[in-house]
Amino acid sequence: MGRGNLGGGFALLILVVSSIYQAAAIFHPISDSHRSAALDLFTPVHHGSFSSSLEEAYEALRTFEILGIIENKPDVGAATCHTVSETFRSTSSTSKDLYHASKVNSILKCDVDSKVFEGVVSRLQAAVSDAGSLLDFYYSIGSLVLIKDRTSKEDLHLVDAEGVFHSIKALSQSDGRWRYSSNNPESSTSAAGFALEALAGVVSLASSEIDQSMIGTTKSDILKLFDSIEKYDDGAFYFDEKVVDASDHQGPLSTTSSVVRGVMAFAAVASGSLNLPGDKILGLAKFFLGIGIPGDAKDFFNQVNSLACLESNRVSVPLILSLPATVLSLTKKTPLEVRVNTVLGSNAPPLSVNLVRASNSGSKGASIIENQELKFDPENAVYILDVLPKGVDVGKYVFVFEVVLHDSELKKVYVTGGQTQVPIFVTGVIKIDNAEVAVLDSDLGNIEIQKKLDLAGENAVSLSANHLEKLRLSFQLTTPLGHAFKPHQAILKLIHETKVEHIFMVGSSGKQFEIVLDFLGLIEKFFYFSGKYDMQLIVGDAVMENSFLQALGNVELDLPEPPEKAPRPPLPVDPYSRYGPKAEISHIFRSPEKRPAKELSLAFLGLTFLPFIGFLVGLLRLGANLKNFPTSAVPATFAILFQLGIAAVLLLYALFWLKLDLFTTLRTLGFLGAFLMFVGHRTLSHLAATSAKLKSA
Amino acid sequence: MAKVSIFKAVITLLLPLVCLSFSPEEPTDRRILVLVDDFSLKSSHSIFFNSLRSRGFLLDIKLAEDPALSLQRYGQYLYDALVLFSPSTDRFGGSLDLAAVLDFVDSGHDLIIAVDASASDLIKNIATECGVDFDEDPSTVVVDHGSYAVSESDGDHTLIVSNDFIRSDVMLGETEIQAPVLFEGIAHSLNAENSLVLKVLSASPSAYSADPSSKLSSPPTLIGSAISLVSVVQARNNARIMVTGSLAMFSNRLFRSGVQKAGSPNKYPKSGNEQFVTELSKWVFHERGHLKAVNVTHHKVGETDEPLSYRINDDLDFSVEIYEWSGKSWEPYVANDVQVQFYMMSPYVLKSLSTDQKGLYHASFKVPDVYGVFQFKVEYHKLGYTSISLSKQIPVRPFRHNEYERFITTAFPYYGASFTTMAGFFIFSFVYLYQK
Repeated sequence: MGRGNLGGGFALLILVVSSIYQAAAIFHPISDSHRSAALDLFTPVHHGSFSSSLEEAYEALRTFEILGIIENKPDVGAATCHTVSETFRSTSSTSKDLYHASKVNSILKCDVDSKVFEGVVSRLQAAVSDAGSLLDFYYSIGSLVLIKDRTSKEDLHLVDAEGVFHSIKALSQSDGRWRYSSNNPESSTSAAGFALEALAGVVSLASSEIDQSMIGTTKSDILKLFDSIEKYDDGAFYFDEKVVDASDHQGPLSTTSSVVRGVMAFAAVASGSLNLPGDKILGLAKFFLGIGIPGDAKDFFNQVNSLACLESNRVSVPLILSLPATVLSLTKKTPLEVRVNTVLGSNAPPLSVNLVRASNSGSKGASIIENQELKFDPENAVYILDVLPKGVDVGKYVFVFEVVLHDSELKKVYVTGGQTQVPIFVTGVIKIDNAEVAVLDSDLGNIEIQKKLDLAGENAVSLSANHLEKLRLSFQLTTPLGHAFKPHQAILKLIHETKVEHIFMVGSSGKQFEIVLDFLGLIEKFFYFSGKYDMQLIVGDAVMENSFLQALGNVELDLPEPPEKAPRPPLPVDPYSRYGPKAEISHIFRSPEKRPAKELSLAFLGLTFLPFIGFLVGLLRLGANLKNFPTSAVPATFAILFQLGIAAVLLLYALFWLKLDLFTTLRTLGFLGAFLMFVGHRTLSHLAATSAKLKSA
Repeated sequence: MAKVSIFKAVITLLLPLVCLSFSPEEPTDRRILVLVDDFSLKSSHSIFFNSLRSRGFLLDIKLAEDPALSLQRYGQYLYDALVLFSPSTDRFGGSLDLAAVLDFVDSGHDLIIAVDASASDLIKNIATECGVDFDEDPSTVVVDHGSYAVSESDGDHTLIVSNDFIRSDVMLGETEIQAPVLFEGIAHSLNAENSLVLKVLSASPSAYSADPSSKLSSPPTLIGSAISLVSVVQARNNARIMVTGSLAMFSNRLFRSGVQKAGSPNKYPKSGNEQFVTELSKWVFHERGHLKAVNVTHHKVGETDEPLSYRINDDLDFSVEIYEWSGKSWEPYVANDVQVQFYMMSPYVLKSLSTDQKGLYHASFKVPDVYGVFQFKVEYHKLGYTSISLSKQIPVRPFRHNEYERFITTAFPYYGASFTTMAGFFIFSFVYLYQK
């Protein structure tokens, strides 16, 4: 983080250059947004008390106290006070519990019996003399100090203040940091904060003056500690632990907060001044303000409490210069306002704010305003530069302010950080003139069609061109003061019907902006797509109040046919089209074979009976008879059986059609066939014998 | 003895974790690893983290270079989702690297990536693997002179507003986001070849990606609505990824900040960020839009049992129940675009299912007159929902020999002819044999 010790003027130059970037961060003091955030963050949870633990209750109450929120509802106070007196009475309370109880008590001023305090004090005195670790000292001494303040007992003293001072001091390290206990070799920066706060407590509890040499060495410890301070690019200073132990890493906020509390507590009790550099104190204030509004209750408390320490410290009170608005509009004639407050947002002592110089951030050096004092408006406590000087045009500027305290005595109390650089945007309406679009003949550049455009209003020109022609778009931009204006963004967009976009930067010479699209060279870029192209002109800049995206109309392009291997652009896909139901599919069934009408089939069925009927009629006409039927019993039986067999076979065929399957039919036919063979043979041989007898007879 | 008791203690400690973890029955994530560059993010983004905690997630916030980082132990993933709020990390600590993050996603876990202008190559590479390409030039941010947030201290127009949301209730909730979303960060574009990645929040047509402090020398690579501010991916394994170029979007500062779009008279006391981010995180962590299909049944019309096969031209009923996970329970899913396919190489029948509004979907259709091994397929892909892809195999056979039509009227003349001939033969046999 540190900026390296480059020598001499070169380092100074770098400082000047880099401080432009430094100035990018503007710090605002605590404001109402902090107050409303605090109300959101610290809400009573447990039946009117703030939290389960006194530590959290103290953090909430202390935050509210600092921010000046009248939130001490009686029920909150009563419930918490009850816990406090419980803690004081209980003999099993540790010194840490007592410490937090005393802290809460110092705010709520609970009604605790003085006898209870006496017991607590004697227990704490014993704890101090038995203390082995830094935190033991910290909590028990801290509690004693708070009880002393609360009960205004002048005779409350530490028994062996010098000895305690020595045993705490014994834990300190050569680099200004402290160890938590003698058997813990790791030194810590936050421990230094606790130690200093404990030492401050010892000093205020001492019955006689503590040895000045010891106070002196502690002061030099503090200075050594400040040597290890770290720095952000925006000018904020902070402390962090050297060894980052991931398991209980507290972060720079709590470390810095601990150190600030410790140093400021020590500075408050130690006689003589602590020669801490003012810019580091201001840097610490910037660090806490730069956090913004923490979302964590502990962080919020650490931030607000540390700022409160800085607000009323004996070393130097930081004053913060802030601007409610860094964007100034020329059209609205916004006045330049500057506020100077303490970190908690209260008013600063009488002082004047000078605008040392203001220069355009683009062209370094050329200063447009120099040494102008801002007018003080006591009603709103702001310093105002009413009218921007005539020469200020739209653009980005760096304004350098200087805070000068009126009373030279106050210069020792307050630290203002010298000159403050602030980036300022001056915005205004840019005048747009002579906008026109034209189609040019390629060879001679003769204008074929020319259309005027009104870039402030609606445009719907409709042009057509082929690949041998050119399209020219031109317009002029001038600042309110009549200078040429170059916007950051001046882009012509051509959008084909297929949503394929092409962008072109519009270049300028002076005020005149012009782009000429030679379609002959753009055929490939346009993927040989003929058709309608919508034209859009986008002109925008951070300081241009009338930045616009304007549809100009369209141009119908007639480009040659693409060759075979012309590349195709990736067509944009609509994400919604990938989803949604598909078209339904229903199966097309094979159509059944065409059949004649039922009646026709039945008519033919009738026709098939005709030969049979004709046969019967013929038999009757011919005089058919059955006279040859055997007459004797046995042959007649066989003949009957034979005829019945034939009838059975025919019936079997009918049944085969109606219901039987082939296997049953064949099996039955097998039996019937054998039977028919037998009876048929007997019948036929009988008939043959009869007819032979007749012939021979 | 001591070892056994330690083992028991470990088991009892781990058991609730195991039970709480992601499962198909309870698809919401439980354990989330948040990686940050700096613990101050805990405080500056606390509203987002607290909203996750209040929704029951167990957040584990760690530094990205924590040497003990690990996503899995003994082959089991320790987390259900990963939130990368560490844009400037060049190298993760522990066993975590690009491949480990991708494996994590490949095994169906969710990921949120938020970067800012300090985005490192590592984080950009992770995003690239997810189908999102951040602007390669590290000095660029999204600038929009057309739709920036009116602010008295930001003159760069890098704090932009957008309300060009994707139209999807399942991703952004049913309540419309009224106030526009504030965005401050870098641009990305979607990989055209990745069909799974979607733009959730797009920039306005006048936005472009450039370095606001230097003059534009060449046309910006990303411009207009090609710039995506927030994108999501739902992978084929239903892992969900959210990528955004603005870490500040999740911060308390922008959550609380009021918003007024330049040139618009509407002033909102609170930006849409909190609603947008909360709703989208509900989607990413599977509190919404997770579907399951159960009880796939089919049977012949008029029957209730599932047959082993169908004959061609059978009429059948198909039904399936679809439920949506609401974060706490499975609720009936109601839609009118669920379709079933009767599929063999290609769909023979594709029919929309009708719903009874209680999660039951039903369709009936005739089996086609083609036999073979078919499948009932439900392939349901809807924007924002997990996809349902289920299939059930069923053979279809032709008519059996005795199942064809037996008495065809058209054939009656043939039968008539046969039977009269037979009758004639019978009578003729009498006449022939016994005529005198």
